[in-house]
Amino acid sequence: MYDVSSFSIAAVGILTLFAFFLRFYKINHPDQVVFDEVHFGKFAAHYISREYYFDVHPPFAKMLFGLAGWFVGFDGKFLFENIGDNYTDNHVPYVGMRGLSAIFGSLTVPVVYGIMKECGYGTVVSAFSASLVLFDSAHIAQSRLILLDSILIFFMAMTVYSYIRFRKLRYRDFTAEWWGWLVATGVFMACTWGSKVNGILTVFAIGAAVLVDLWDILDYRKNESIDVFWRQFTARAVGLILVPFIVYLSFFWVHFTVLNRSGPGDTFMSPAFQESLVGNELLMHSAEIRYLDTVTIRAKDAKVYLHSHPEKYPLRYDDGRISSQGQQVTGYGHADENNHWQIIPTKALPETGRGRIVRHGDTIQLLHVNTDSVLLTHDVASPLTPTNQEFTTHPKEDYSRYNETLFQVLLMDGEEGSAWRSKSGHFRLVHVLTKVSLYTHKGQLPDWAFLQQEINGNKNPNDRGNVWFVDEIVQTPDGEDVLNRQATVNTPNRDPKPRNFFKKFFELQGLMLQHNAGLTASHPYASSPLNWPFLVSGISFWTESESQKQIYFIGNIVGWWTCVIAVSVYIGIMGADMIGRRRNVKAIPHSVRKRLWNSAGFFLLVWFIHYAPFFLMSRQLFLHHYLPSHLASTLVAGAVLHFLISDTVNTPISAKGHFTPLRHRNYAEIGYRGPIILGIWVVMLLIAFVYISPLTYGTPGLTGDEVNARRLLNTWTLHFAAKNAGQV
Amino acid sequence: MTEDTAARRRVPRGPGATASSPDYSRDEKGWNDDDSGKDVYSKVGVTAPRFGGGGRAARRGPPPPPQSLGELVEQNWEHIPPIIYTLLSCWTRFHKIGKADYVVWDEAHFGKFGSHYLKREFYFDVHPPLGKMIVAFVGLLSGYDGGFEFKSGEKYPPEVPYVAMRVLMAMFGVLMVPLAWYTSVELGLSWRACHLVALMVLLDVAWLCISRFILLDSMLLFFTFTTVFGLTKFHNQQWRSFSFDWWFWLAFTGFNIGCVSSVKLVGLFVTALVGLYTIEDLWEKFGDLRMSVRTQLWHWGARVACLIVLPILVYMASFKLHFMILSHSGPGDAQMSSLFQANLIGIDFSNNPLEVAYGSKLTLKNMGWGGGLLHSHVQTYPVGSEQQQVTCYHYKDINNDWVITPRWDEPPVDLHGPIRYLQHNDVIRLVHPATGRNLHSHNVPAPLSKLNNEVSCYGNATIGDFNDYWVVEVVDDINRGKHVDRIHSLTTRLRFRHQALGCYLKANTKGLPEWGFKQIEVSCDKTNDPRDMYSYWNVESHWNDRLPPGEMKLYRSPFLRDFWHLNVAMMTSNNALIPDPDKEDILASKPLEWPFMHTGLRMCGWGDNNTKYYLLGTPVVWWGSTISLFVGVGALVVYLMRQQRRYVDMEPREWDQFLYVGKIAFLGWFLHFAPFLIMGRVTYVHHYLPTLYFAVLMLGHLLDHFFFRPNRWTDRTKNAVFGACALTVIGTFWWFRGVAWGIDGPINDHWGLLWRKSWNIYEQL
Repeated sequence: MYDVSSFSIAAVGILTLFAFFLRFYKINHPDQVVFDEVHFGKFAAHYISREYYFDVHPPFAKMLFGLAGWFVGFDGKFLFENIGDNYTDNHVPYVGMRGLSAIFGSLTVPVVYGIMKECGYGTVVSAFSASLVLFDSAHIAQSRLILLDSILIFFMAMTVYSYIRFRKLRYRDFTAEWWGWLVATGVFMACTWGSKVNGILTVFAIGAAVLVDLWDILDYRKNESIDVFWRQFTARAVGLILVPFIVYLSFFWVHFTVLNRSGPGDTFMSPAFQESLVGNELLMHSAEIRYLDTVTIRAKDAKVYLHSHPEKYPLRYDDGRISSQGQQVTGYGHADENNHWQIIPTKALPETGRGRIVRHGDTIQLLHVNTDSVLLTHDVASPLTPTNQEFTTHPKEDYSRYNETLFQVLLMDGEEGSAWRSKSGHFRLVHVLTKVSLYTHKGQLPDWAFLQQEINGNKNPNDRGNVWFVDEIVQTPDGEDVLNRQATVNTPNRDPKPRNFFKKFFELQGLMLQHNAGLTASHPYASSPLNWPFLVSGISFWTESESQKQIYFIGNIVGWWTCVIAVSVYIGIMGADMIGRRRNVKAIPHSVRKRLWNSAGFFLLVWFIHYAPFFLMSRQLFLHHYLPSHLASTLVAGAVLHFLISDTVNTPISAKGHFTPLRHRNYAEIGYRGPIILGIWVVMLLIAFVYISPLTYGTPGLTGDEVNARRLLNTWTLHFAAKNAGQV
Repeated sequence: MTEDTAARRRVPRGPGATASSPDYSRDEKGWNDDDSGKDVYSKVGVTAPRFGGGGRAARRGPPPPPQSLGELVEQNWEHIPPIIYTLLSCWTRFHKIGKADYVVWDEAHFGKFGSHYLKREFYFDVHPPLGKMIVAFVGLLSGYDGGFEFKSGEKYPPEVPYVAMRVLMAMFGVLMVPLAWYTSVELGLSWRACHLVALMVLLDVAWLCISRFILLDSMLLFFTFTTVFGLTKFHNQQWRSFSFDWWFWLAFTGFNIGCVSSVKLVGLFVTALVGLYTIEDLWEKFGDLRMSVRTQLWHWGARVACLIVLPILVYMASFKLHFMILSHSGPGDAQMSSLFQANLIGIDFSNNPLEVAYGSKLTLKNMGWGGGLLHSHVQTYPVGSEQQQVTCYHYKDINNDWVITPRWDEPPVDLHGPIRYLQHNDVIRLVHPATGRNLHSHNVPAPLSKLNNEVSCYGNATIGDFNDYWVVEVVDDINRGKHVDRIHSLTTRLRFRHQALGCYLKANTKGLPEWGFKQIEVSCDKTNDPRDMYSYWNVESHWNDRLPPGEMKLYRSPFLRDFWHLNVAMMTSNNALIPDPDKEDILASKPLEWPFMHTGLRMCGWGDNNTKYYLLGTPVVWWGSTISLFVGVGALVVYLMRQQRRYVDMEPREWDQFLYVGKIAFLGWFLHFAPFLIMGRVTYVHHYLPTLYFAVLMLGHLLDHFFFRPNRWTDRTKNAVFGACALTVIGTFWWFRGVAWGIDGPINDHWGLLWRKSWNIYEQL
């Protein structure tokens, strides 16, 4: 009686309307930069100004924000530097950008409804799942700000929805409709993954489901002919691997096409990449280095200059080891005359022209200009690192140790004959005699070296600290202008050098992975995955002291605990069923059990795959990483509710094919309990939601006691709390 | 795969169906006496090569006693190969064992710990005590008195019988070989596969090398091998539940689980393997509807008793013994609770004045599990307030001393006036005499626990403020219960509340980064949890010349408490062994580098005059075994897919056997490998050595499955494959024997050892 289609349409309409209302309510508040808007707002601005940036997440969602910003007339000048910067004062049309997030967040609610409905649950149960998302403070808080999660979650829900639609058409395979939903699943999957890096979990979830499906198709009893399997397999490979990959690539293609100017992300990339950007430092100032040029040399990672000064190494170190008492060679962070080194040739040079260019593999000496001595390394232990060789200098005129002053310039990825360039030419300086590489690391020398950084000779050729570049050509022997010097031979080209898209793509993917794994610094609001489903702690997004307003990111406690209980109940039911069947007790009717396994089991799989991998990650983790899993758990909650209030299920739900036998249509009877439970839950959800809404919307401000009252769990760390009587 | 119904075998007969004849191995070995089963071991030995073990156990009468030596040999023919292998193993393990007459590699640690047992001094280490007690026992047997310090690289003095100790330790390594043989037999491998497994265990240079020194690894490996052996033995008793043999092997497995876990905690991985096997076994039994409830309960109870209770008892017994032997004060005291220390000989806390007064100098011990002493040193925080650091420290040091001092507005302690005792709710300052500063807290986030306030040392004897005030709150007293007037050292449990901020002085469980010397963070916790042990402190050492020495009755610290305390401390220290990103540890390696042997490990100095040992496996064994893991999983997937298409490749018994051995080998490998991937701590290549065993079993199993068992190969082919494998292993071993037996002279003169560019075996030019 509740499943008349007009009733369902009305339900969806009301849910959507509420969703839009709750997400758009006071969306202009606060008119300040909140939490990670610092990052994602800034990235959107970069798309508008077309300046290259670097981020660990794929670009799709950020491009959408850029598009939204462009659409509402944002000029990209405001850079979202600090949490709390004012939008109104800077004339940022932030409401439009937040609106995009809110639209996706609102549309997630009807999609959840749709998923449940398509899986054969009734209107009431579907509305139950949808309202767990509808009234959820965490989903709302995320959807009202310029954050990627609402977009990620929307596309994740759409992926699940499309896959279910696809699966329901399995008896009508290779029809247009079937292909449509298959490709839609693939496209949405790519959008999910393209929005945020953890969207890849959705790919795994669907992948796991597809494997189970294929295993079934492989079964001899289902398909006598193996060709059926190969056809199905190929179709899925196309729809779920090839199509998503192309879509995913296209995001990056747009990304690189739009961001064609030099920007803050340059320094993350390789020199070849940087040279493909308009106005890049390397492009503008990179020049070929010639013998007798005076240069400054800088470490790639540590960013210190190769430096020397007249002071000598002390004879005896604190640990009793002895030095050569030679002139100190250190790493120094600031520009200084003592950073100047001249490149001395070890072979005869032509008077002028390109024969004077230093090339990969050439052997050189480095002359420290201020002290007129040449760089040398020898088998004496370095001050801080006894396993490495000490670097020092030796008077220029004294040729007795000439062989120890020879170094070979080895460019990274250099080929025979490639020229050594300033800025872009990353190189290692290898000592000809002992084969150690010029190396620096974060070790600070004591006071006798003015706390400068240690430089030594490293025996391991592959260490990251071995890589250096020439920062600047300070002086040329005849005083020519460095940048125009080449003009005599061939015109320098200051236009960006195009680079193959795939090379760019793979370079960026590698860097994203590397930096994502590197996000390990501790954060006061980071939390461990085990705490998430129970809402043990949230995240403080934003505070304003004078009005005592704050946004505290936390879920609806009624909703989340309902989900946790539902998941536990489901696992309990299935566990009991397995144990019972082992003892030949079959308590659950076949059709109901099948539904529990296939539909709720799929939801649980989605929940698990979006959740469990976080336990293995050592990076910073936050509560909002659980939101996709939370969405899946609301689906489980709906399925469990249906199981608890009804003994039957709606069948069949899959579309009938040509050969499927006609089956009797069954409708699940849920009686009056369904609507009553739904009503009770909606009221409870609403109360819990409204009660902590000042923390979700950041308004109105709360007094200390009100804040304390809203601290529902004592592990929540809210601001502006009144001091307890117990705490004097 | 194309649709070819002609190729489909619908009858349950596979290529290997006839190969499963139970007598084939016996025939090939030339056993002509069917009545060789005399004792427990040989009886099983006869039946074991059959699939599934003793389902149809041969029950025959005992053979007549041997009349001649020839008959004796004939009756025990099956034991001849393992005996030969054991002798060979003795040769490889003992050959030139005393060549390096200096302390090699981690002998520096484990030799030293052994000495502590002989001197009975309490020490602290991250590993459980059993292995080190065995080292000490071995030292005792060889007549070592414990007087040597085992400094790394130092030459052994004549009074240290290091050769005898190494030989005794190498016995564990020797026994690995026969164990591997018998385990293969129990796993039902054919004689060729058994020989190969035994050869690989015998000739792997990493296992060889690690067994030849005074290290824990040979024992760890030995007990891992015995555990697997026990498990396979037990598996073959499954049709004779509750027989004596069944009970014996179940208890044997449990006992060895206890031993292996008490040597190194890596033993827990093999425990997990036994656990998974048992769960599957019980799940099978649970589904057996013909089995009575009573029998079910017996099965469950037997496993709980033998595989859970017994190992825990063994583990605890090793700690009990540890505490009993180490009855004297030593370098590890401060890791333990104050009460425990009070019972050590050589520590006389009982002479401490009993009641704490103003002006007393004392140390404060955190009462949380694994808690240290409140400590401060001149180094400052690089973050937050940048004031002087306050930490918890686990070693004794004058920087742990604090003086109870009155508030700024009160008169200083009058050395001649009446003694003022410290009481509940007193507001005091704690002065750090080594630096003269006051314990201080303020509204600055602590370096790690960012939600707590930072605790620092600030000011001096004249400079200070109300942020130096701490309220002493008494929780209770172990002797006197809740009603406490004056504060006693050792027994009174205290908390310190910061008067101005209302937060409580608390020790973290995590260590500070390198700048804080990995000492434990101390912060001031804003949430008041009165049951939080980490905010409880007690007075440990106490000095006050004006008070009489206490004559306290010593209270024994309960064993379980000490046991738990020490285990938590071990965990904390273990977790603190994280790789330092700023420092490249040339010895450490990443788990993914191990299976294909990307890196080796220099175990000693690399000078031209040193005898050099390089921890590196026999390449073909490591590479071959790793490849076999991939092949094994691939084969399983292909077989499963073919089953789904209703091809019959094997008859059920064969399939069960394939799965059973595959599961033991692959799961064993996986359980010993995957945890290292997610572990945060520093890992070394020798962590792979127990793991390698399972990979080797897999290699043996797959060679057996693909070459030695199927009937489609002739004996000639089988022998050819066997000969090729054996010769490759022997040849590679001989090529690399030097890395385990010691290389003399300049390393670069030894040509041809660099099989992978990443090995640092040669000095780079």
